[in-house]
Amino acid sequence: MSQPLPTDPPPEPEAPRPYVSRIDRRTALAWVGVVGAAAAVGAGVVVYGRKFGGQPAVEAKGYGTDPDLVKPAPAPWPRIMTRAQLDTAAAVCDHILPAAAAAPSARALGVPDFLNEWVSAPYPDQRKDRPLILSGLDRLASRSQRLHGKAIAALSAAERTALIGPMAAAKGADLAFFRRVRRLVIGAYYTTPAGFKDIGYIGNVARARDPGPSAAVLAHLERELAKLGL
Amino acid sequence: MAAEPYDVIIVGSGAGGGMSAYHLTHAGLKVLLLEAGRHYDPVTETPMFNTNAEAPLRGEGTPDKPFGFYDATVDGGWQVPNEPYTVAEGSEPFVWWRPRMLGGRTNHWGRIALRFGPLDFKPRSRDGLGYDWPITYDDLAPWYDKTERLIGVSGAAPPRGLTNTPDSPEGCLMESAPPRAFEVFYARAFKAMGIPVIPMHGAVVTGHMAGRNTCLFATPCGRGCAIGANFQSTTVLLPPAMATGNLTIRPNSLVYEVELDKAGKASGVAFVDRKTGEHHSASARAVVLAAGSGETARILLNSKSSRFPDGLANTHGMVGRYLMDSVGLTVAGQFPAMEGLPPTNDDGQGTQHTYVPWWGYDRQKELGFPRGYHIEIGGGRRMPSMPLAGVLDSDDLSVGDELRANLRRRFGSVIGFDGRGEMIPNDDCYCELDPKVTDKWGVPVLRFHWKWGESETRQAGHMVETFLAVIDKLGGKPLGKVQTDGAKAISKGGEMIHEVGTARMGARETDSVVNAFGQSWAVPNLFVTDGAVLVSSPDKNPTLSILALAWRSSDHLATLAKQGAL
Repeated sequence: MSQPLPTDPPPEPEAPRPYVSRIDRRTALAWVGVVGAAAAVGAGVVVYGRKFGGQPAVEAKGYGTDPDLVKPAPAPWPRIMTRAQLDTAAAVCDHILPAAAAAPSARALGVPDFLNEWVSAPYPDQRKDRPLILSGLDRLASRSQRLHGKAIAALSAAERTALIGPMAAAKGADLAFFRRVRRLVIGAYYTTPAGFKDIGYIGNVARARDPGPSAAVLAHLERELAKLGL
Repeated sequence: MAAEPYDVIIVGSGAGGGMSAYHLTHAGLKVLLLEAGRHYDPVTETPMFNTNAEAPLRGEGTPDKPFGFYDATVDGGWQVPNEPYTVAEGSEPFVWWRPRMLGGRTNHWGRIALRFGPLDFKPRSRDGLGYDWPITYDDLAPWYDKTERLIGVSGAAPPRGLTNTPDSPEGCLMESAPPRAFEVFYARAFKAMGIPVIPMHGAVVTGHMAGRNTCLFATPCGRGCAIGANFQSTTVLLPPAMATGNLTIRPNSLVYEVELDKAGKASGVAFVDRKTGEHHSASARAVVLAAGSGETARILLNSKSSRFPDGLANTHGMVGRYLMDSVGLTVAGQFPAMEGLPPTNDDGQGTQHTYVPWWGYDRQKELGFPRGYHIEIGGGRRMPSMPLAGVLDSDDLSVGDELRANLRRRFGSVIGFDGRGEMIPNDDCYCELDPKVTDKWGVPVLRFHWKWGESETRQAGHMVETFLAVIDKLGGKPLGKVQTDGAKAISKGGEMIHEVGTARMGARETDSVVNAFGQSWAVPNLFVTDGAVLVSSPDKNPTLSILALAWRSSDHLATLAKQGAL
C-alpha cells in the first residue's frame, strides 16, 4: 500500500519549474493506463507522459459504496488535467499558500494533484466544479503567454502575483474560479498533518482521559465572557 | 452455532434486532438472525485515526458515501443500489437512510442516548394531540436502567428533577468528559436566559466499565469504534449473543415476507440472497421483525394471504401509518470571543459533552406550539475537513501569510446549534407499497407520503429564533443566510434518520399493530422490536428507547416460549 503523500518531500528549488507530481508511480501508471507513458524520476515520484490528461469520453466510476476505509486506495478515476493545467494549478497553489517560515507550500504537499483528483472525479459536486476550474486555469495560462510571453511555470514570483492576484478583485467567472479554487486549496492543505501543525490542531491522538480545557484556555474564556457581560 | 429448527428468526441486526438477539440467545432460545447487508467487523474495518488526506477527495461526502468517506455506513445512504423507494406525487420530500451491513445504523449513529420522559408516553392526555402509549414511563424505566448498564452511557450528574427529562438512577451512567472550551462558553448564554445546560447522555464508555474499553477521546464515533468503546450492535450485543452458542447469523439475506401456517401463525420467513439472487425460506416457532421502521412495514405489507389480503397484521389499515421523524435544523455562528484560544484538544468523547434539554414545558401556550426540542451543540477545534474555509468571513480572500494567520485565529471559533424536536403523528405521513415499482428481485417497494404539520413548522421557527438570540448574546454572527421561516427551514421528512411509528403499539387491536410487548394482535408469535412500534416521536433521539423496548418485548417473548405459549 502506497501513501498518497510522501512524508518527506524533497526541498523546493527557488527557480520557476514545472510541477512534479507527488503521486506514487504505480498509481499514476494506473491512471495513464500505459506503462511506457510515464517516466520515473525518483522513488515514488513520476512525471506524466504525453498521454496524460484530456476530458473523459465516458465518465469514470467512483470508488463505490463499500470501499476499504482503513487503507483507502487512491481515487480510482483517471486524472483529466493536461500538463499545462496541472502546472497552472501549481502556480495557483503557490499564490494561495506558498511556503511560510515554519510550514511547507501547498505545492510541496501535493495540493495540485488533489485539484486534479477533484476536477476529475465522476461525482455531481466535482463535475459541477470541473468546467469552472479548468476554464479558469486555461484563462490564466493564456494570459501568462499574452502578458509575459511565457508559460506560467516559467513566471517569477512577482509575475505570478501580478497574474493571479487581480482575480480576487475581479467579477464573474474569474472571481468564482478564485473563490472556489481557494476553498479547495485551503481544505486540501489543512487536512494534512503539516496543515494540522500550521493551524494548531493537536487532536487525533489516543488519550487515557480527557482533562478538559487548560487553565490558560479557561482564563481566556473568562476574559472574553466578562467583556460580553456573561 | 445453532441449527434448524430455530426457536426464533430475527429480521435485522441493528438496535432492535441486536438487542432481541442478545436477550433471546441468553434466554436459551436458538436464534437465526437474518441481516440484509454484508457481514461487518468493526475491529478490523474502522478507520480510527485516518486523516482526511488519506481518503479520496479528502473524505468529502459523495453519492457513494453521503456522510463522508469514513462514515461507517456500508452499501447505503440515501439510496441503496438495487433497492429503490419512491415518494408520492404531491408529497413533501422524504428521504430514507439505509445501510446494508451487520449492525445496521448502530455502526454510525450519533450515540445520543436520551430517555423518553413520563409526558412522552402520554402526550394526548397532556395536550389532546397525538396518541398515548399503552405503557407509562414507569413500565419502561427498569428496562432503561438495564439498557444503560449494558451498553455503557455517560452523563452521570446529581438528580435535577427537570420536567420530562429523567434522571437515571445511581449506577446507570458514567461521568461525561468535562465540558470543552466552546461548551463552557455557550453554557453562559443559556444560563443568562434561564435555560439549563446539562451533561449529554452519550452511549460512550467514559470511565471504567467491566468487559469494555474506555474511550480514547479521539476519532469520530460516526466511523464506528474498533475498540468497542461506544455502543454498536456489532461490538456490544452480537458478540456476546454469538458466545452463547445459540445464534446463527446469515448476512446478505433480504427478507420480504412472513410466512404463515394453516393455523394462521407465523411459520418463518422468505428471503432473497442479495449476492446470489436465490430465494430461500427459513422456519421457526416465532418471528421478530426489527428491520427498521420502513423495512418492517414493507415486509408486513408484502406478506399478503387470503387471510390478510392487504398485508399481514393490516386488517385495520394501521401498517405504515403514523410515520414520524424528528424536527431538525441547524444554525451556526462565528464567535470573535473564541478566536485565538491557547492550544486545546477538543476531540472529546464523540458525543457532545453537554446539551440543552427542552425548557418550555410550562410555556407552550405563550410559545404558540405544542411540544418542544432539545439542542445539540457542536464546535471546537476538530480535525480539519474540506469546508474549513467556512470559518473565514465570506469576503476574506486573503492569501499567503495573512491567510494562514486568519485561519489559525479563527480555527475552532464556529459553533453549530442543532435543534431536534418532537413531531406529532398526522394522517398525511405514512408509507405504502408502490403499485408499480419493485426492487431488483421483483418485490414491491415503499412509497412515502409526507407533510409536516403546523406544530412542527412553528417549532422550527422557534428554534431559529432561539439560536439567533444565543449567537447574538455570545457576540457572534450567524454563518451564511439564515432562513427564519420555520416551514422553509425545517428538515426534510426522514432526514433526521429517526423514522419511527409504522407498526405502533397500542391498547386495542383496532388502532394499533402490536400490543404493549411488541406482539402482533393478529399473529401472536410475530413480534416487532424496532422503532416501528413507537407511538410518539419525542425530541429525544429514539435509539435508547428502541433498545429498552426491544429488551422488554424480547423478555416477554422468552417467557411465552418457556411457557410453551408461542
